Amino acid sequence: MKLWLGLALLAGPLAAQSARARLEGRVPGAAVPVLDSLVQRAVAEGLPTEPLIQKALEGGAKQVTASRIVAAVQLSLGQLRAARDLLIRAGDEPPVTPGEVTTVAWALRRGLPAPVVQRVVAALPRPPRASAMHAVADLAAHQFDPDSAADLIIAAIGQGLVRERLLDVSAAAAHELQRGHTHAEALALVRQQLPNVPASPKPTRSAVARARRPAAPPPP
Amino acid sequence: MDVTGASSDAEVVARVLGGDREAFGLVVRRYEAGLLRFAARMLGSRDAAADAVAESFVRAYRHLASCREPARLRTWLYRIVANRCKSHLARRTIADVSLDEAPPVADPSDTEATLERAEQLALVRRALVRLSPEKREAFLLKHVEGLSYEEMAAVTGERIPTLKMRVHRAREALLQVLEEHE
Amino acid sequence: MNMIDPRIHQVLDGELAPGALSAELRRSVERLVTAVALLGAPLPLPSLESRVMALIRRPAPSRARRLLRWLATPRAVMFRVRPVWSLAFAAVVALLTLVPIGHEGPDIGEHEGIAQFVGRFPGAQSVHVVGSFNDWRPGSIALEDVDQDGLWRATVVLPAGAYEYMFVVDGERWVPDHLAERLVADEFGRENSIVIVRPARR
Repeated sequence: MKLWLGLALLAGPLAAQSARARLEGRVPGAAVPVLDSLVQRAVAEGLPTEPLIQKALEGGAKQVTASRIVAAVQLSLGQLRAARDLLIRAGDEPPVTPGEVTTVAWALRRGLPAPVVQRVVAALPRPPRASAMHAVADLAAHQFDPDSAADLIIAAIGQGLVRERLLDVSAAAAHELQRGHTHAEALALVRQQLPNVPASPKPTRSAVARARRPAAPPPP
Repeated sequence: MDVTGASSDAEVVARVLGGDREAFGLVVRRYEAGLLRFAARMLGSRDAAADAVAESFVRAYRHLASCREPARLRTWLYRIVANRCKSHLARRTIADVSLDEAPPVADPSDTEATLERAEQLALVRRALVRLSPEKREAFLLKHVEGLSYEEMAAVTGERIPTLKMRVHRAREALLQVLEEHE
Repeated sequence: MNMIDPRIHQVLDGELAPGALSAELRRSVERLVTAVALLGAPLPLPSLESRVMALIRRPAPSRARRLLRWLATPRAVMFRVRPVWSLAFAAVVALLTLVPIGHEGPDIGEHEGIAQFVGRFPGAQSVHVVGSFNDWRPGSIALEDVDQDGLWRATVVLPAGAYEYMFVVDGERWVPDHLAERLVADEFGRENSIVIVRPARR
């Protein structure tokens, strides 16, 4: 118990230290202390810190002003809090999994209404829910009604489809739309196909052969 | 050559087949606007349209000897582009709209008329995307590109009664959307 | 779908004068005519002439290269054989696809997949993809325009997951991926694209 407590106590400063190390030289110097404090706050609240660090790095790379980076990271922190609260309302026991907080925050950023996100969370009692969320968001991005989109994905889950196969469901519905069907027809057609919606093709051998890993970052 | 001094399509084709490769540039300049517009409305993306039409021109150049009626070069080109659009649509699994097709962000200097026009165009484009590719193609060829039903038959390989039915259904579908949003 | 008054079709086909219609039907015709006029406006697109002529001037691929390209293009092949031969064939195919022959590219881990980035930037000198998979570090993933046709590509091994990204053209111009299926506001006034990398082994 004492060991876990010790590690938990260390986690905060460690996270902040690693955040500072990643931000220095990448964002305006004036922003580092404020960003550091926002990361610490996330740690204290049991929220994921990586989305905040990524948002700061993004702002630095895009050469945005310090104040705008701070504002964006504050907004991100607010989004993570809202995501955490939604997960708890949907039935997840606190402390909620940081990865799930990131997933739900993303779903909300992509424009899914909170009640729809909550339904999908409730339909999948155990994480991970990322593919389900992105599948519903993909459908909404193609002007499917979000509730109907959630219905389809929840039906797919009920038929045993999990993880990336849920993305195949949304891809199939969008494909039917492209073939000229209405949104309602597309949903009905795909529902009939469940669970045997076509799987997305695996990467070709030539794609694998030419794939490269990103270049390693330069030494500090 | 016609009275304006411009070479006819048959003359240009003869020059290209005779070895004057650069003369094909005339063909591109003459027909690219209409073909690009047709492809963009079919595919819902200017980027995809530019690719499809450029590839079609290259294919047309390489197979120019098989254009049996050089005087009807325009119809032949539309046929190549229509087929390429169909292949492109059949391959696409997701309807992708490039960002430059998204409604323009209003500029303070835009007049009310300009904004209204932009909104109307966005509505019409959305209605067009909802048509099946066959109806969309028929509507665009007939009304936007101004082909006759005979020319459309040559482009699509379909019978004229079939094309008329598709155009009629397309009009009905579009009118329904336009009247719903009045 | 509602059928419309056939006289509307007759007017639009030039078989009937618009004056023969009631005011309401004339309005329907005008709506369609206005829609056509909007669709018929020329699009502000750059001329394709230089691009097309550059491709035409390029020497046509040799017969051998065309054959290789044909062989490499996925096609549906159907043939009928006795079951015993189809089993043997399947075994040979499985052997050839599962046993690495020569250099097959990087080893892809169990929780890794491949992301393919494609963008059209004719005239660009360099294109990079920058995103949350490389800590938004410009310069670490370069796209290539092998055919010099303005189409830039990169195929990258990444841990499975979802990432936000943009393209950076000529080291300074940040551009969203126009072919991306997913977009999200970046909170800096622009939009990021989202890519979902699936595990390659599934």
